[in-house]
Amino acid sequence: MPLPIPPPPKGHFVLHTNFMPPMTAGGYRLVTSHSATPFPVATESTYVNLAAPRYQMPVEQILSSFPPANAEGAFSDRLPQIVLKRRTLPWERNPAGGTSTSPTPWLALVVVAEGEAELSTPVPVAQCVTPGITLRDAADRDVEQGIYLTVTETVKNKIFPCEQDLPLLCHVRHVDVSDTELANGDDDGWLAVVLANRLPVYDIANDKPVRYLACLINLEGQLASLPPPVPPDNDGFGFQLVQDWMVLRQVRAEADSMIIGNVDIGDIVLPGSRPAGQPRLPRRDAPGPAERPEHSIGLDGGSTMSSPTVSGQWSVATVAVAKAALDPDASYVVRDTMGIGFRNPISVYAKEKVYRYPVLAHWSFTTAGSDTFETLMTGLDVGLLGTVVKPDPADPPTPEEPAEVVQTGHIGLEHRTRRGDPVQAWYRGPFVPFPTERDAPVAGRLPVAHAADQLKRVVPGGREDLGLAAAFEIGRLLGLSQLSIVGALTRFRNAQFGAGRAYIQVKQILSGEPPLVLDQLDVYYDLGRYVALSVLADAAKSPFDVLGPRRPLVDPGRELKIDGDLDLIIAGGLGLDVDVIRKRADAVGIVAALAITSVPVAFEPGAIKLDEAAVAVLKNTLAAEVESVASVAFPATTEPDPLDALLDRLSPREED
Amino acid sequence: MSKFTGEMVLNSVVNYLTEAVGVIAEHDPDDGDHATPGELRRFLGGLRLLKGVPFSYLVPDSRLLPLESIRFFYIDRAWTDALVQGVLSVGTITTADRAQLEAMYPQIRAEVDEAERVQRRPQDEQRLEGNAGTITGFLMRSKVVSGWPNLHIRAYDQDVLPDSALSTVAESHPSRMKVLRQERLAPAVLLVLIDGVPEVVHIEEPRQGIQFGVRHAPGDADSQVRVKVRRADTGAIVPPETSFTSTNSVTVPFRRNAPGVIDMVQLAERLRTTAPGAGPTLESNEFALQMLRFPYRQVFGDPNDLVGVKFYDLDQFTVQLSTAKWTSKVQEFLTDADPQDTRPGGSK
Repeated sequence: MPLPIPPPPKGHFVLHTNFMPPMTAGGYRLVTSHSATPFPVATESTYVNLAAPRYQMPVEQILSSFPPANAEGAFSDRLPQIVLKRRTLPWERNPAGGTSTSPTPWLALVVVAEGEAELSTPVPVAQCVTPGITLRDAADRDVEQGIYLTVTETVKNKIFPCEQDLPLLCHVRHVDVSDTELANGDDDGWLAVVLANRLPVYDIANDKPVRYLACLINLEGQLASLPPPVPPDNDGFGFQLVQDWMVLRQVRAEADSMIIGNVDIGDIVLPGSRPAGQPRLPRRDAPGPAERPEHSIGLDGGSTMSSPTVSGQWSVATVAVAKAALDPDASYVVRDTMGIGFRNPISVYAKEKVYRYPVLAHWSFTTAGSDTFETLMTGLDVGLLGTVVKPDPADPPTPEEPAEVVQTGHIGLEHRTRRGDPVQAWYRGPFVPFPTERDAPVAGRLPVAHAADQLKRVVPGGREDLGLAAAFEIGRLLGLSQLSIVGALTRFRNAQFGAGRAYIQVKQILSGEPPLVLDQLDVYYDLGRYVALSVLADAAKSPFDVLGPRRPLVDPGRELKIDGDLDLIIAGGLGLDVDVIRKRADAVGIVAALAITSVPVAFEPGAIKLDEAAVAVLKNTLAAEVESVASVAFPATTEPDPLDALLDRLSPREED
Repeated sequence: MSKFTGEMVLNSVVNYLTEAVGVIAEHDPDDGDHATPGELRRFLGGLRLLKGVPFSYLVPDSRLLPLESIRFFYIDRAWTDALVQGVLSVGTITTADRAQLEAMYPQIRAEVDEAERVQRRPQDEQRLEGNAGTITGFLMRSKVVSGWPNLHIRAYDQDVLPDSALSTVAESHPSRMKVLRQERLAPAVLLVLIDGVPEVVHIEEPRQGIQFGVRHAPGDADSQVRVKVRRADTGAIVPPETSFTSTNSVTVPFRRNAPGVIDMVQLAERLRTTAPGAGPTLESNEFALQMLRFPYRQVFGDPNDLVGVKFYDLDQFTVQLSTAKWTSKVQEFLTDADPQDTRPGGSK
């Protein structure tokens, strides 16, 4: 039944009170009958089984649980919870027994401390409920064998939720499927959450960790057994186990007598059977060998076998679970191992009525510590390293002297010199309360210490500062402690020190620009051209050195040689008389004089007969010469060859 | 004339050089070429981050790191350099050895600087390299370290998000600083080294999904706890945010003589009467809303905000569907598939 509810945006979730399935789980019969037909029609019955978990929660339906299974931590301010994938799961059965759905969930998460209850080994599911109670529709079972939780009436009344609590302890969460943190791999984003009603509190009084077992139990048919509401206690709580059946660990009984029920438990006082006048609830630390006699087994006729301490047991259980996780059948073995500490045969010994509840899922965890994350974090003493907490004047004075810490972070420590004199020396570790300078290379060299003594410093007061020398020495020892490092160093030194230096040089050479022509690797060249181009490229970089100075565009003319009067020479060359021109110039000026003087001509035009053929030859020669010069100056365009391409590429390079 | 490409020329040059270099240096496809052997380089890089250095060399006196304390520091490069020089001094016997070491040392130091940043490489994170800079960090000795494995530690070089922000910025964010080493040296001692000088450091409770729980108010008895009330209509925390008053918190009622068993009905009733905007009854989802606890985040080094008691606020939300409407809707489905007619009391 798809509901038109869009998923909430990522990082958000929506909480719903509950999500009722249309029908409860179980067997149904669909009856089909026809009426108003002229002939009788037999009714048809179809059997439908609505399956739902009853004695075991399938692993794929469990999305997560908190606190994490087998975890140790300060969980005392968090309610344990289990998140189920199918949103209708807590309401798929009616705990009161009817076939209609009920807002009261049939699942409850109960949290029992070690010693308060007994977890069974797998038995046929019919035995999983309190003897005398038979669950309706016994054929409706998801597994053949299940496990159950045994609690005495006292324990049940104290720690089980009331019927009125149950609806508050289940709700439905709707998250976006793609939100990995919230959805955690769910398929539709709808989740059912079952909360516990008990905080897994820490044993503050005895300052001991407490191991808890969280059980998801089936309340079907046993809703009436849940405790009635009692007036609450506003003053908080004191940690006490409701009942401590751990004493049963001391009982060493034969299997036969266990079954017959005549086990001699000696002087062990069982919970629920205390004489009047004594505290009703046994204290956790009460059973001690020195305080009261107990059932003991003599070893070698003398010593008494001591009972295991509680803290010893929980850590043993945690280790055992961790070991079991490595087993090939881990999924079963781990679940079974988590029951360690919850296997005391309470039902055999309890004087009062015991109840059984089917357990669909269970896991254990340990509350170690009463402080919460918040109180611890806010209570931290914050400072830079080197801050020493000033002793409270109210505290009794301690015999030891206060630490000698100075502002630089150095601390005064006792030091025995090589000569054996006991002195005080300064020491400072790698952690300092202010930024420090690091040695910078001077001309590519760095100071290297070859022995710790080189790093010893003497401060003006005369004391030695051994911080760096100690660092050198511990570094040397750490290096020596690892054979592989010593080996690597030796090899490095033998073969690679010199070579390493060569490598640095090669790297420096390689770091230069690659040859010019190599940047286009896909073009074919022949070697001659490659060499020519390389030469050209290099030559083009400094043509003055390689090819000589460039020729100017225009050459200067030859120098004229003149001896004597310039006018005379010119006039002589032109066949003029200088004296006549000078005389005329005196009268009319030099320009007019030149204009009116006629130039002597050797032959009148047409007086000499030219050879026509010779002239034609001369003209042709001249034209050919001009053509040749022009073709050199402006060559006819042809296909560009790779050289042209290269030269083309050369020219822009030269510009920059 | 045989033809060959420029690539062939380059290759033959490179091959020759590689051969020359190959005998003298190490090349690692992941790590690049180095003169210092990788094994040594990684060991020295680890030493720079003080891996394996006995704790008494780090903190010479227990009074420098008392119980329940956090101490911030800078790493003294001179100290870690001395540590590296100590390793390199192993096996220097002759003057020639020492002269060679002196010549090589700047290169070794530069290569070990690079190796520092690759000591811790979170999955799907880019490889970071560069010259060695300032390393800072802190030592924390607290029950927090032993009780909450997998603490979230983030350092920022500037305060980029409000202290109460529900989300965090990505690890690749330029303001987020790389954590070079995060290690529990002892069950209750945590060492964190940060690449650079952070302005703000966040330490956050491990996120393990949504949790429900109670809080212990300062000043109350050890066995008393409270629940801080949220507005029933919007989910907002009722002010004042940083303290517990009778109007913004309720005392959790416990069942008599039963350790830690909460009287759920009473608690729901108290929450209903105290929470502003609550209806006549407190449904299980509203109850869950009141009990929600988000991971706690401690912020160090941010003077503008209150350091300490900071809690995530809920996003404002409005009720979309009334309970009555919801019930009727569910009932609709129930009538659609009414089992009463066809179901003879579970017989089969």
